[in-house]
Amino acid sequence: MTLERELETLEIDVNVGPQHPATHGVFRMVLAVDGEKVVDLIPHVGYMHRGAEKLSENMDYRQAIGYQDRTEYLAQFNAEHCYVMAVEKLAGLEVPERAEYIRVILAELNRIASHYMFVGAFATDLGVFGTAFTYGFREREYIQDLFEEVTGDRLMYSYFRPGGVCWDVPENFKERVRWLCRQNRVGISDIDGLLTKNEVFVARTRGIGAISAEKAIEYGLSGPVLRACGMKTDLRREEPYSIYDRFDFDIPTGNRGDTFDRYLVRMEEMRQAVRIVEQAVEQMPDDGPILPEKLPRRLRCPAGEVYMRAENPRGEYGIYLVSKGGDKPYRLKIRSPSYCNLMALKEMAVGHYVADAVAILGSIDIVLCEVDR
Amino acid sequence: MSPEEPQEAAVVPPPPDGVADLFAEVLPDTEFQATQGAMEVILTVDRGDLLRVMRAARDDPRLDFKYLRCLSGVDYVEQGLEVVYHLYSYTHKHSATIKVRVSQDDARLPSVTSIWKGADWHEREAAEMFGLFFEGHPNLVPLLLPEDMTDHHPLRKDSPLAEIEEWQGERAGLGPGEAAEVEE
Repeated sequence: MTLERELETLEIDVNVGPQHPATHGVFRMVLAVDGEKVVDLIPHVGYMHRGAEKLSENMDYRQAIGYQDRTEYLAQFNAEHCYVMAVEKLAGLEVPERAEYIRVILAELNRIASHYMFVGAFATDLGVFGTAFTYGFREREYIQDLFEEVTGDRLMYSYFRPGGVCWDVPENFKERVRWLCRQNRVGISDIDGLLTKNEVFVARTRGIGAISAEKAIEYGLSGPVLRACGMKTDLRREEPYSIYDRFDFDIPTGNRGDTFDRYLVRMEEMRQAVRIVEQAVEQMPDDGPILPEKLPRRLRCPAGEVYMRAENPRGEYGIYLVSKGGDKPYRLKIRSPSYCNLMALKEMAVGHYVADAVAILGSIDIVLCEVDR
Repeated sequence: MSPEEPQEAAVVPPPPDGVADLFAEVLPDTEFQATQGAMEVILTVDRGDLLRVMRAARDDPRLDFKYLRCLSGVDYVEQGLEVVYHLYSYTHKHSATIKVRVSQDDARLPSVTSIWKGADWHEREAAEMFGLFFEGHPNLVPLLLPEDMTDHHPLRKDSPLAEIEEWQGERAGLGPGEAAEVEE
């Protein structure tokens, strides 16, 4: 002990990123470390800033849908859904029943696909589980196949339109979705069996990066990160949008707010999303219109503003849309959930080891294109 | 009036016994301009009252807006810059929008980072994009833009997408094959 006291310790700044596999994209953080412990953390974002908000102001309401895909590239349907709902709110468009069901099914499947990506990447961040990555990607691929069949694209769908969806789904859609639900139940339990009771996995995540519910609200966290703190809140339940009030589903919560709870909450959310899809596919009308009958060729919104929010896989996705009449948004602000969740990274990571900082970053489940917009 | 001409939003009075009345009850000697938006009440307050209103919004148990959802800037050119705060209460499950207007020449307003920590990056973003200055912000340096890009504010209406428009104009008359050549 005396020897340790006599040794001089230095705080060293360790730069992680921007090009680093653990940063999930182009993200840089400067860690001030004392030995192996993180004493300060400065995140640097903005490497992926493309001005999606400015670009959207310069194109009409339908063209701007494409930028939603490019902003949130792991939950594209959820992001599109929020945007088209904002436009519908301003333009006063009614969405046909069938289109609502198609949207909800696709958005919930997208939530599952996004969480598969999270599980795969998160386990890889922890260092040893390449298997989880392949498991997650295998299951995600089945969902991607359906999306490709429906929209014709694997990544940038641009499928939702103000008022509905752009074309009808393929004939075998319902059977495909039912098969996907069965497949997903198997896939989720596979990953569950691989990770949830794995001693190394639990040791690396239990008690790491915990944040209290009060702190989380103060930082404006949302989604699974907030629910892991024990806050039973979900926009699909609290401010039901679209047709979410017709489905029976539970809101999973954690009680410690650590990285393991965030993982558990997301795993349960996947099961609940499967439940929603199963109910939706039974209720969905077999035929009917997918767009309103009277849809103008040039969509104009009357002057006004709306802040539309939706529960995305990463949290509250908000679209603040201001219209001054005309066919272009006057102002489009994207409130992206991982941007807000990332603000609390320092609060979560200080006091933990460097390796845990990487696990904590992974547990927030950031999408850098959505952070930087 | 042609449809392309900018219009103003219709002013709808807020419903009685709503959030607008709660604010008036909590802060009797503060002036609000209240209208009903598409989803929630919009209250416009004076810059000098902002901190007082926000502190009351968070701390008063009748309002209890513990969650700042979103903070955005809007450039209304002649009518000045607007900063919009979207608030939500987890206990009462109600929401509200607070707005402040400042002019482009004197774009200063108090920072709300002392009330909600989550306002930090939102304010930094609004500052660099609109040239706003949030007084009392602990670290008001550019976040998304490069550090040296201080000469203009991209989301203001006086910084158009000049280069992209030009680039599109150049290619507009070209056929598909010719366009591919330009790209190389």
